[in-house]
Amino acid sequence: MPATALHKFITFIGLMSILHTAYSAAQHRSYLRITEQEFIALPIDVRIKLYLQRMAYKIFTKRGKIGYILIQGIISLFIVMYGVMYIAGDFKEIRAVVDLENKSWETLRNLPSFQIFSHRGKSLAS
Amino acid sequence: MADQYDKLSWREVRELFRTWREDSERRSKDVVDLWESKLMAKIDQLGSEKYLVLEQVCIAALDCARHDVAEYCIKILKRAFPSSLRVHKYYAMHLEALELYDEALEVLDSIVKRDETNAAPRKRRVAILKAKGRISEAIKELTEYLKKSVFKFMSDQEAWHELCDLYLQEQEYSKAAFCMEELILHNPHSHLIYQRYAEIKYSQGGFENMELAKAYFCQAARLNPNNIRALYGLLLATNNIATSPKCPSSKKKDAIKLSEWAANQIEKQYESKVSDEDIKALEGLLGQLQLEV
Repeated sequence: MPATALHKFITFIGLMSILHTAYSAAQHRSYLRITEQEFIALPIDVRIKLYLQRMAYKIFTKRGKIGYILIQGIISLFIVMYGVMYIAGDFKEIRAVVDLENKSWETLRNLPSFQIFSHRGKSLAS
Repeated sequence: MADQYDKLSWREVRELFRTWREDSERRSKDVVDLWESKLMAKIDQLGSEKYLVLEQVCIAALDCARHDVAEYCIKILKRAFPSSLRVHKYYAMHLEALELYDEALEVLDSIVKRDETNAAPRKRRVAILKAKGRISEAIKELTEYLKKSVFKFMSDQEAWHELCDLYLQEQEYSKAAFCMEELILHNPHSHLIYQRYAEIKYSQGGFENMELAKAYFCQAARLNPNNIRALYGLLLATNNIATSPKCPSSKKKDAIKLSEWAANQIEKQYESKVSDEDIKALEGLLGQLQLEV
């Protein structure tokens, strides 16, 4: 399948999203250092937090809600994977026998441990 | 033949020797010639590969009955590894090439006595019997060797191969087929072994064997669509099935279809390999072949 502009766009969005995740995580750690809090895990991404906070708050405890950056990271990873699969081109068949295809019966049946020397080689040399 | 190697540098010759060694090609004359013209002077620059090359040249020299070269190689090997059993084996092989079979056997026996698990001298014993033309004794020796389950010789593919060839010389097709089955278990992806098995079954004859041959030729052609010998085998086997009186009419149709497919594939192979003028002649020849079988 050829790579369409849409797939390129999806990959671009995914990559941006991953970069954003990384940036948010770094920012959060520096924020923690300033406020002298202990680092436990990654925090919620600010934007997703605003969106999901209300319903997520009930499910996650105060410590547990810090999974969102992680979730964003994983989701964007899958988006990138999806996009790259189309951009990278067609898959090639994995053939188990590629290296065997060039072998001929002549080389396969030549058994060095069973070679015998009583043949015409003798008369050819002399 | 010699001209094609004239311009090679000794490094290229080293590479060439390496590929020949790995593919176990038996180009003894070329090996000896190249050794004398290019590599012999550079022997000390080969590094750790030196002894592998010497072994290769030694066997090639024996194959060409160049005893002076072989003696030279064995001498160097012996100086480097005075107590090596492997070098002893080459000494035995040299005796063998000089047709001093009894002396060679003595050397081989002494090696086996010192190291029971050493497979190489046992195989040489079989080769000596083969060289003497005593095929049935060679078969006996080789089956004894394969039976020695203590040393796990049963998984020795080379030995199965050799046993198959020996049985074929004696025209014991069913036993040869058994050896090939053993090899199929070892290499389920090797089209050549499927092809060989099919050929043995084809030679055995009979309707059931022909069906088996057809199936195995198909498998060989599937694993390597360029295997022209398997395609020809398929053509012959299917034609044989189609003309067999035992064949029910339903199978006959399939066989004819398959034979047409094989013929097409063969034609395609030739078309992709040769220039235009030759094709027509070959197509004509193929048509004749179909009429004959």
